[in-house]
Amino acid sequence: MFFRKPTREEQIHGGPPLEFERPIPPAPWRGITVLITIIVTAATVAWELYARSLGYAPTLNDNEDLWTLRRRAVEPESIVIIGDSRAWYDVDLDEFQRGLGKRPIQLAGGGMCGFPVLEDLANDKNFHGTIVCSITPRLFFAPPGTPPFERGTKVVKRFHNQTPAQRVSERLAMPLEEHVVFLKQEELTFDDYLKKLPIPNRPGAQVPPRLPPYFGTLDRERRSRMTEECARPGSELAKRIQQIWPPLFQPQPPTYIPKDVFIKKMGEAIGKRFHDVADDVAKIRARGGKIVFVRFPHSGGLKQIEDRDTPREKTWDPLLQMTNAPGIYYSDFPELKDFQCPEWSHLSAGDSVEFSKRLVPHLREALKM
Amino acid sequence: MLFNSLTFVVFFVVVVALYWSLSGWNLRKNLLVVASYIFYGAWNPPFAALLFSTTAMDFWLGRQIGKAQGQRTKKRWLVASVCMNLSMLGFFKYGNFLLQNFQWLVARVGIIYQPPHLDILLPVGISFYTFHSLSYTLDIYRGVLQPTRSLRDFILAVSFFPQLVAGPIVRAGDFLPQLNHPPRLKTNQFFWGLALMTLGLFEKIVLADTLLSGPADRVFGYAGPLVAMDSWAGVLAFAGQIFFDFAGYSITAIGAALTLGFHLKDNFRFPYAAVGFSDFWRRWHISLSTFLRDYLYIPLGGNQVRPFRMALNLVIVMFLGGLWHGAAWTFVVWGLLHGSYLVIERVIRIFFEDKPWAATPPTRVIAGFATYGAVCIAWVFFRASDFTIASRMLTGMFGGHPNGDMILSTRELLQIGIVTAGVIGMHWTMRDESFETAVIRLPAWAITAIGSIMAFAIIFTQGNSNAFIYFQF
Repeated sequence: MFFRKPTREEQIHGGPPLEFERPIPPAPWRGITVLITIIVTAATVAWELYARSLGYAPTLNDNEDLWTLRRRAVEPESIVIIGDSRAWYDVDLDEFQRGLGKRPIQLAGGGMCGFPVLEDLANDKNFHGTIVCSITPRLFFAPPGTPPFERGTKVVKRFHNQTPAQRVSERLAMPLEEHVVFLKQEELTFDDYLKKLPIPNRPGAQVPPRLPPYFGTLDRERRSRMTEECARPGSELAKRIQQIWPPLFQPQPPTYIPKDVFIKKMGEAIGKRFHDVADDVAKIRARGGKIVFVRFPHSGGLKQIEDRDTPREKTWDPLLQMTNAPGIYYSDFPELKDFQCPEWSHLSAGDSVEFSKRLVPHLREALKM
Repeated sequence: MLFNSLTFVVFFVVVVALYWSLSGWNLRKNLLVVASYIFYGAWNPPFAALLFSTTAMDFWLGRQIGKAQGQRTKKRWLVASVCMNLSMLGFFKYGNFLLQNFQWLVARVGIIYQPPHLDILLPVGISFYTFHSLSYTLDIYRGVLQPTRSLRDFILAVSFFPQLVAGPIVRAGDFLPQLNHPPRLKTNQFFWGLALMTLGLFEKIVLADTLLSGPADRVFGYAGPLVAMDSWAGVLAFAGQIFFDFAGYSITAIGAALTLGFHLKDNFRFPYAAVGFSDFWRRWHISLSTFLRDYLYIPLGGNQVRPFRMALNLVIVMFLGGLWHGAAWTFVVWGLLHGSYLVIERVIRIFFEDKPWAATPPTRVIAGFATYGAVCIAWVFFRASDFTIASRMLTGMFGGHPNGDMILSTRELLQIGIVTAGVIGMHWTMRDESFETAVIRLPAWAITAIGSIMAFAIIFTQGNSNAFIYFQF
């Protein structure tokens, strides 16, 4: 029944003796489609209203394409912010523009190691601008293969290999994400809800630690701002996030490598990173570019962990020494050291403006502007 | 352009709307050619030129084969076409692989040769469109197809966007006749096409990417030993992922083609309910297995030769089938494993086919599960990026790492278990019928409910525009 002989005219191309025709199941397909459209539209609207009732607001998703959009905006003399989420949340672009005379381009990102981006800028022969690089040692010195390093590599790779289709998709997605709440990825998707299921794990299972929930919004310039809910003193959300940082900042060594071998390998990787960074800084400077490293505020239990596991004398000091680059360590300056991070790692949106205002004179001095 | 991207949604709506609003058939075909090249160029515009040049060459060579008087002349033109297509594929896909292996080989005889690393970017879907195009000259040579007079029609047959980059491998002989007359807009066909697209995207976005790809990637990316449960879970997750990923793409392609009035054949027919490996290859990637059967296995002698030669033919075909998937020895081993499975199956048949118990339901179910298990073992080589990982995985699967690590959460194990049981159950339920006949049995309200759940699940899941696995081939 699904095959028929071709007509004489159909022999123009001399096709095969039998032409295939797909069977169409007999059903009222038009009505079914209309009904499905109505049901799905209603369910989607209900889902959007529910997401809003939970306190979510429309915001862009931070993905490689949005990052690439900003990376493309980098001009030879741009001021570029790179590194982890502290530079992402704590820098106010307006204050930087006011103080430094140019609108900076935000290329820092959540849980991102800034090194791949630094290397990419160092290898960009046109670039001779200024880099403000955030240093959170656990992230900046993360070796290849770890999630922070891979995040940095992924965005750089996308910048170089982005297809026209990906570019168009990002342009189409932005207006939608700015108005529709449920499009917030890594929070309101089916996968995220599955991850939230309270199913206990097997004893001894090495399950990756959870990532923090939604606590910031993002605009087209990738300016990230902490939500009011998270910034509110004593908020449950902030407390919840505080509990998420310690396992993320204290990753367990793999069980399949002897601990001493692992520590030795890590030591070598970090040593190599110092040298690679020094090489990249030299390249940028050779073209007339500038770089300044910044240690952004962090507090509470997370500060204790960082001070203990990645002490300044083993990370920050040798970095400045080897690169011979200027650095601003927030706690060295009275006007910067007293900022409190509601969830221990980032400043509230309001504080980020004030912090940026106070940071600018130090940046000007460090960069000899 | 990925099917699971916003760009494709907009592109598809615009193309379908324009297509059905144009009255002239030639205008519609021109539109489809332009749309297909935009679809392809959206990855990397220069590669559209490569696609065009391969197509134009085969169009010309097809005419030469058609015009040639003697068999020898025909053969010469065919050889030219095969060489042109395979050298394109060889350069882009296997260039570095061949150089590396040549380096290794000459090193065995003491010659140190450092080949230059060719910075070659693989044109997406090159293996698919090369076969689309090659089928044309092969069929003209075999005398089952006359050369077409229209270059535009042939360009469309090779580049028709639904099947261009990841199959099904649509032979020119199956597609060109459909260009003779303009299809009429049939309501049921159009909406059925949309339903198939929804099913395909559900398989890709929800089942493959959301429920299975994460655990599969973590297991195959883990550098240490794993206990048997996690190793098997990773392999089962990949078995499900690759099925839903590729079958999802094929169904979406078939549905998209239907909305434009074109008919593409099935590429999958419930493969995880296969009983035996010949049966598996009649159900998995049917367009490739029939391509290899018609253009390679039968010309090599097929079943009409002595048993040893037939076994050798099977192994050769599966070896090349493995290599078609990727330039790595792991793919070759995957192909050779399947070749060996097919040979073993033939031997078993010789001894046991006539036994009364051989065709009983319990035997068939046991044979079905044995087939699935062997297919999963072969998937290890398909997914592992090198033999170290493959060997570690197999050791883990067979209890070689009792003190290995456990890296999957209970939730992930449940996901894999439920989806695997679901896919095997569905395949066994529908193994002897077509998908369409299974749909016919459902009442309209059930179709509506299932369609709504799938469509909402796609929206709820959102997806992250992961590329389809078969794009890399």
